[in-house]
Amino acid sequence: MSFLHSVRDIFRGRAMGTAGLIWLCVILFAALAAPWIAPFDPLDIDPVNRLTEPGWPHLFGTDHYGRDTFSRCIYGARMTMLIGLGSVAFALVTGGAVGMLSAYFTRLGNFLMRGIDVLMAFPALLLALVLMTLLERSVVNTIIVIGIVYATTTARILFGMTLKLKREVFIDAAVCSGAGHGSILFRHILPNLISPLLVQASFIFAFAQLQAAALDFLGLGLPPEVPSWGNMLSESRIYVTRAPWLLLYPGLLIILSVFSMNMVGDAMRDSMDPRFKDDIAGV
Amino acid sequence: MSAAPLLQVEDLKTHFFLGTARPFGSGRRLLKAVDGVSFSIGAGEVLSLVGESGCGKSTVGRTLTRLETASGGTARLDGREILSLSQAEFRPLRREIQMIFQDPFASLNPRLTIEQTLAEPLRIHGLAQTRTEARALIAETLQLVGLDPKVMERYPHEFSGGQRQRIGIARVMILKPRLVIADEAVSALDVSIQAQVLNLIKDLQRDSGVSMLFISHDLGVVRHISDRVAVMYLGRIVEIGTRADIFDRPSHPYTRLLLSSIPRIVPGRKRVEDLGEPANAASPPSGCAFHPRCKFATDICRTTQPPAHAVDTGHLSACHHIEALQKDLA
Ligand SMILES: Nc1ncnc2c1ncn2[C@@H]1O[C@H](COP(=O)(O)OP(=O)(O)O)[C@@H](O)[C@H]1O
Ligand SMILES: [Mg+2]
Repeated sequence: MSFLHSVRDIFRGRAMGTAGLIWLCVILFAALAAPWIAPFDPLDIDPVNRLTEPGWPHLFGTDHYGRDTFSRCIYGARMTMLIGLGSVAFALVTGGAVGMLSAYFTRLGNFLMRGIDVLMAFPALLLALVLMTLLERSVVNTIIVIGIVYATTTARILFGMTLKLKREVFIDAAVCSGAGHGSILFRHILPNLISPLLVQASFIFAFAQLQAAALDFLGLGLPPEVPSWGNMLSESRIYVTRAPWLLLYPGLLIILSVFSMNMVGDAMRDSMDPRFKDDIAGV
Repeated sequence: MSAAPLLQVEDLKTHFFLGTARPFGSGRRLLKAVDGVSFSIGAGEVLSLVGESGCGKSTVGRTLTRLETASGGTARLDGREILSLSQAEFRPLRREIQMIFQDPFASLNPRLTIEQTLAEPLRIHGLAQTRTEARALIAETLQLVGLDPKVMERYPHEFSGGQRQRIGIARVMILKPRLVIADEAVSALDVSIQAQVLNLIKDLQRDSGVSMLFISHDLGVVRHISDRVAVMYLGRIVEIGTRADIFDRPSHPYTRLLLSSIPRIVPGRKRVEDLGEPANAASPPSGCAFHPRCKFATDICRTTQPPAHAVDTGHLSACHHIEALQKDLA
């Protein structure tokens, strides 16, 4: 109940954020219900009906193997959600732990944060490319690589916020009560970081989409047979003049989803604790 | 106090490094926030520590609760040295030395209910085995500080400053400590509720017989609560004595300056001296740190730090010109 209340408080009066949230719910629904709502098997090859224009029964047309673009877009939502949630979880858990512990244990922090600085010296896409060339193309590896890229920014942001929280008087008071490191970190610091973490998560989700699409497009992300929006763009790029719909639909879906996630992030940032607003400037 | 004191602090020093170290050469300056402070507090006694803002009062309190690390000196609680203990060794002793913080809006975790905040010290020190037991103790303590036990379900933002400070006091008293350090416990409150909270602290202290280090920049507040008073200036105690010593027979020019700045505390005494420019702890004056603001200052004050002279038993003043001062008062 209180969760629903806070969702209402965040999105009330924020039209763009609400629209973004609705769109994401649609994507989430498509991802979960893909086998029931997709009219065709996304992998079914039909050489007779290659590159048909959008119409009936192929709403978004077919690709060069005759696969149904609409069904592939729906299954692509699965990949979008999987990669997005996976890399967000990876980035928040690893980056969050590194940032929080570094700020709390300063000696360890000096060491760890220098490592983060080195990783951050690479542009995000370059870092992902370098890591991806070392690994096989797979869903898990894509999640890990994108997760690592955004773990660095998460670590930086949480480092700053934890440093601030550490100086709060209520932390001194907890120490005086006899609280140990574990209790200070998990009872007093972490709960105060939840809302900035959620905002951070929504921005990472948005950027992870772009990153994943870029990796797929460059042939370094998900294996080519996986129906993801990025792979669809990559495979169809040579047909751009003959069958532009092959790029139009997945491209639109990527843009809409990234934009929606950013709008949700903005709404959450605007409604949160003013103390931390400066820290979250986007990824 | 004839019996051995509860707390005996000797030559306490807390120095801070300012700025960040530069990679080459030493760019760090030393700030001697507390520089050789000695005092004792007997069982059931209230010692007040007064002085202008920035003179190091909070640092004394924070060093004794091990929130800051002492650079030198000793502090014995019941004969046991506490400054050289590791944090782990000191943890069980935290129950005995508790601190009330100045800012009631910052000292409570906004994410925890009052029950969670008050249960934490009970759990850590093993004073309640079950939640029911804890809630009973919390209810009792909340009543003690003048709050309805029902408030334990609520979050800090639902309370006023005065109520929050009562919760902060409850967090301290629930542990039945032997020494309470109250750092400007009422300074952040509205004037209208300062007296209420001050009376609460005084009553709790008297009823429980707890010893207290009462820190304040305001001699007016200190007057009603102290048995003895220590006056601090730039990291040192310049005068210490009983309440009557300090208020009726002040024997340091700085104490007189502070007294003269309290409105109407001594009827008839004119406000002759201005408070003047407070000195900076980062670059203290030579000799007696107070000499640039002192009308009695002579050459010796500019070169030599005055030792503590006994004006009377238990009444010490660190001034080169005690005789001249006493003539001036007469
Ligand atoms: N953690 C710290 N690091 C550096 N300087 C500090 C620190 N804490 C206090 N100081 C400095 O020590 C001096 C004394 O501060 P404080 O004990 O807070 O004074 P008071 O409580 O009497 O106002 C001040 O100059 C303050 O800036
Ligand atoms: Mg202070």
